[in-house]
Amino acid sequence: MDILNDLLGGFAAAMTWQNLLFAFVGCLLGTVIGVLPGIGPVAGVALLIPLTMNLDATGAIIMLCAIFYGTAYGGTITSVLLNTPGEAASAITTIDGYAMTKIGRAGAALTIAAVGSFVGGTIATLGLVAAAKPLGELGLLVGPPEFFALMVVGISLLVALAGKSMVKALISGALGLLISMVGIDPVAGAPRFTFGMDRLLDGVSFVAVIVGVFGLSEILSYRKDPHAATVHAPGLRSLLPSRTEWQRSAPAMARGTGIGFGLGLIPGMTGSVSSLLAYGAEKKFSRHRNELGKGAVEGVAGPETANNAHANAALIPLFTLGIPASPTIAVLMGAFLQQGLTPGPTLFTENSEIAWAIIASLFIGNLLLLLLNVPLVGLWTSILRVPASILTALILLFMVIGAYTINFSVFDVFVMIGFGLLGLALRHLDIPLAPMVLTLVLGPLMERSLRESLEISQGDFGIFVNRPISMVLIGIGVLIIFSPLLKLRKPKALNEDPET
Amino acid sequence: MTTESVMTKPGRAARVAPSVLVGIGAFVAVGVYVLVSSLGLGLWTSLGPGPGLFPFAMGGVLVSMSVIWLVQELRRPSETSDGVDRGLVIAVVASLAIVAAVMDLLGFQLSMFLFLMYHLKVRGRRTWISSLIIALAGSVGAFYAFNYGLNVALPVSALSPLNLIGL
Repeated sequence: MDILNDLLGGFAAAMTWQNLLFAFVGCLLGTVIGVLPGIGPVAGVALLIPLTMNLDATGAIIMLCAIFYGTAYGGTITSVLLNTPGEAASAITTIDGYAMTKIGRAGAALTIAAVGSFVGGTIATLGLVAAAKPLGELGLLVGPPEFFALMVVGISLLVALAGKSMVKALISGALGLLISMVGIDPVAGAPRFTFGMDRLLDGVSFVAVIVGVFGLSEILSYRKDPHAATVHAPGLRSLLPSRTEWQRSAPAMARGTGIGFGLGLIPGMTGSVSSLLAYGAEKKFSRHRNELGKGAVEGVAGPETANNAHANAALIPLFTLGIPASPTIAVLMGAFLQQGLTPGPTLFTENSEIAWAIIASLFIGNLLLLLLNVPLVGLWTSILRVPASILTALILLFMVIGAYTINFSVFDVFVMIGFGLLGLALRHLDIPLAPMVLTLVLGPLMERSLRESLEISQGDFGIFVNRPISMVLIGIGVLIIFSPLLKLRKPKALNEDPET
Repeated sequence: MTTESVMTKPGRAARVAPSVLVGIGAFVAVGVYVLVSSLGLGLWTSLGPGPGLFPFAMGGVLVSMSVIWLVQELRRPSETSDGVDRGLVIAVVASLAIVAAVMDLLGFQLSMFLFLMYHLKVRGRRTWISSLIIALAGSVGAFYAFNYGLNVALPVSALSPLNLIGL
């Protein structure tokens, strides 16, 4: 009953016209980011953080969460209509989604994808509601050593699952931690790696770093696609799926929800693994599996539901344990921290009203996405008809504004440019970017908990293995890091996922 | 999970790409710099771990992983991705650096207008009309939208004549 009361209180707080507007604008912006090929969800969310700085904490996080899951749907539109995924998690949807477009069922495919996204997202958010209290209370039992060990597990998983080589992933992770250490040391107050520059005493802005590494470097590495298809918006009449299509989609959505929800809870797993496995499940269990690849509606419903269930389920480790499960969530966590909110167990004790308002807004946002996306499909496709030169110029404009408004200083624009070049070099060297983002955000928290733990134990590292919870967690982290020696396999999709 | 490390057989005629060697060299250099600086910051104090302890560990990870990567590359050189469009990189980076350098002097509106005109008219070869409309909307329009709509102050020109006319 407590949970129901908290959730109802959250709905009351989220249903103000301002918060509804923030959710609405967030859904719109998120969809646009998902549709645009030049900018992924990580850079997109980071880029829009400065816009939310003047908002109150609840409104800011509601808008950023809406942007986050809006991107998960936006990517579908280009997959279905253009055979080009707007983001990696929608790549598998191109197979049957585009095949449906070719047989004149594009509208039905987009509607099914929107409904599937709504179903997956809503059920995953219900999971968050159910898990919030118990996991949050469990989390309160952890002290600095357990918190440090928990972050070791999160980072180990992401390092192990990112890209093709763990050596490169570790380099990326170490770079992120080193960047996070620039500025005044949080415990002793000594300046570190500031090169005598006063501007660096507060550290390097993570927004400028992420916009540079993920956004600018994407533009710098852009190459024209000579095979780009022409866009045709489907007419409104063809948006309605037939009864048979609904009936065939329902079991695929159920399977997609289960897969996306389960994998979303695991740090390091990305939405593309969920959608790929959901497609695999359809190939195995669907009654119409023979039609997959030729425009079967299950090939859209399963992966798209899994993708959104994953996106929403990935918020569970963030809200309850303070561990971001993916690079985009790490950026979201950075936004929480900037707003003075610490995601994790204390969120529900110290900022309970805000936490429940955000959770309630997730339900509202999922509904808004459903209502918005299908009727506005013509608008989304018209964005794709905007020439690349105009889109690039406008994205660069927003990058400059985004970087400048962090501290109202052009210094951060230069930081963004520098990190854009670093991102380009890392892409060229095939070094995954995801571990860097995660360690960049978690670095200060991780260092603080390590040093607090060692102060408690008066310098004895045994504190991490003497306490049962931290011992188990450290053991899991070590096992993950040494998993290549154990020849454990990881999903192939993670090797090619640009989000990692 | 990669198992390519020490178990792989030596490559035949392939050579390590120069860009990879430069990259590894840069990571080693940064790692060594961090290791040396961390020692200066102090690894341990009477109260416990010092400000240099964590960076020292990360510097160690960076150097050791770079060395392992070099060994992997010598045994089996990896394929590097396609080269970059240098013209695009130079144009974007230089224009961004110039706009950042002059923004406080010329103000957001004028510097961004020139920046957008460069990308739309010169690089994108759009028509004069569409370039002007988009550049005005992205500079003057964005300035007013952010300053008055979102309460986010974008810079005005430090030069009095420009400042007086609202730029």
